[in-house]
Amino acid sequence: MAQLQPQTIYRDPQLLYWILLPITAVMILTGVLRYYATVLMQTAPKKLEQKAMREQRSLLHGVAVRTNFHVLSEPSFRARRDYLTNAYESGAFLKDPERRGQPPPNPMTDPGAMDGMMGMMKNNMAMMIPNTLIMSWINAFFSGFVIIKLPFPLTIKFKSMLQAGVATKEMDPRWMSSISWYFLCYFGLQFVFNFLLGNENAANQMAQQMSGMGPQNAQMFGPGVDPDKQFKTEAENLAVVEHYSVLDGVEGRLLEGIKSK
Amino acid sequence: MSSSLLHPPSHLPPAVALKHSQQAPIILKKSPGAVSTSIFQSLISAPETPELWTTYENLLLSCLRTGDDESAHQCLGRLVNRFGNDNERIMALKGLLKEADADDTATSNVILKEYEQILQDNPTNIPILKRRVALLRSIGRISEAVSALISFLDISPTDAEAWAELADLYFSQGLYSQAIFALEEVLVLQPNAWNVHARLGEVLFVAAKSSDNPGQWAEALKRFGRSIELCDDYLRGYYGLKLTTKELLSDPSKLTPSRATSDGFALPDVVTLGKLDELATEKLAEIVRRNSAGEKGWQGYDKAEVKAAKELLEGDTAAITR
Repeated sequence: MAQLQPQTIYRDPQLLYWILLPITAVMILTGVLRYYATVLMQTAPKKLEQKAMREQRSLLHGVAVRTNFHVLSEPSFRARRDYLTNAYESGAFLKDPERRGQPPPNPMTDPGAMDGMMGMMKNNMAMMIPNTLIMSWINAFFSGFVIIKLPFPLTIKFKSMLQAGVATKEMDPRWMSSISWYFLCYFGLQFVFNFLLGNENAANQMAQQMSGMGPQNAQMFGPGVDPDKQFKTEAENLAVVEHYSVLDGVEGRLLEGIKSK
Repeated sequence: MSSSLLHPPSHLPPAVALKHSQQAPIILKKSPGAVSTSIFQSLISAPETPELWTTYENLLLSCLRTGDDESAHQCLGRLVNRFGNDNERIMALKGLLKEADADDTATSNVILKEYEQILQDNPTNIPILKRRVALLRSIGRISEAVSALISFLDISPTDAEAWAELADLYFSQGLYSQAIFALEEVLVLQPNAWNVHARLGEVLFVAAKSSDNPGQWAEALKRFGRSIELCDDYLRGYYGLKLTTKELLSDPSKLTPSRATSDGFALPDVVTLGKLDELATEKLAEIVRRNSAGEKGWQGYDKAEVKAAKELLEGDTAAITR
């Protein structure tokens, strides 16, 4: 059997100037604009009220005492434990003590929580709207164009990826359609943005998507968490700590350590 | 040199601070006055770095120490240009500059009023809260400073800096047990801070000397030991250790086991104490010798501390020969 003739398609050279370059330029520009849009839309992190700050930091204080109890001598640890467990159980540090025992407020109605969600919404919008617009723009103007030929051979499986929007069965998968070029730009421009805007920026959409998907870091003070319950848990954690001190036998360690040198 | 400009300057020796502030005009001339916020400029020019602003802040503090108010004002101006007047940290720096300019109590009182005004609008402005305490302390209203600090620590009990300041205030007033408590809080937040371990040892030493509580003697000894364990060749730790063992060995009545309490720490026996004393003496002698010989790697010590160690050792040998 004779070798398969390489397919040749005669393309208008103007395709390069009127489709390939415009798509690339538009993608880069939207990336840059999106970065500045997110910078502008960023709201300053909301100020904590005095009471809320007290609540959070008191809890953190308890955690610190629990993890670093070994620097204290026994009596001073006991004094702290008694004070903290008492205060935690009586709810002395709570933001609004009269709300104790009630179910936590619905995070949807809590204005503080809404803020965080609005921030997320804004970010998502900044990602989605330009992408939808560009995609529909490409679909409307350039659908069905075959714009470049890749310089390396590919198997047939790549056809659906590289020739989206061009329903030609027999065409070599090396030919690439305009919409596929868009996707390639969408995923591949990260380094261009890194170069243009400096590292670690908002145009870096992949990282954003990744962080969205990654495991949510434990929301310690997030909406919908009942601080009273957290305090109670912390009080229990403190109560079961078996105290030892790092100062026990420090002289012995010191003398031995010096001798062995 | 500029790398040391990135560290907080409060612990720099005066010579280095002076050097920094002498360089201030050059640095100010070299660095850009304001970073343009326009998109096109930022695409072309080098991106602004956080280091630049840290440098300005530290330069400001160094200049204030050496009295170069003009450069300090220039630094502040640039920081204000960048971050605006409402930034909490900038507000504190502005207050600091005003405090430096104020030369009598009346002006200080005016600044204090301003701080209180700011705090009424925003009661959680932590830099200003701290400045207020510092100002109260500097104009000698110690008890007010203490109560302000306590109310601050009530809302923010995880602030090690504030606890340390409180300990210092209490210690200056001779309230040793309160100072010990506050220093223990610092350690809870920063468990491996050897300087705080040694500091707590010092406070315990002073407290033990006045109350003669054997538990405190033991704890002071152990604190110094811990600080040496965390940081080899730590002069203050060894000095404290030497001082404590010397004190304990010179007075055998402190060592009788009947006085040991069940609570807290027990003192080690005389043999161990003797060994510790020997160890501390040896190490101090080594530090003093190598430091004064100008050996490399042994030069970071404070001159006054080395001198004190030398005197302690000399007193020791004099006592033996006598």
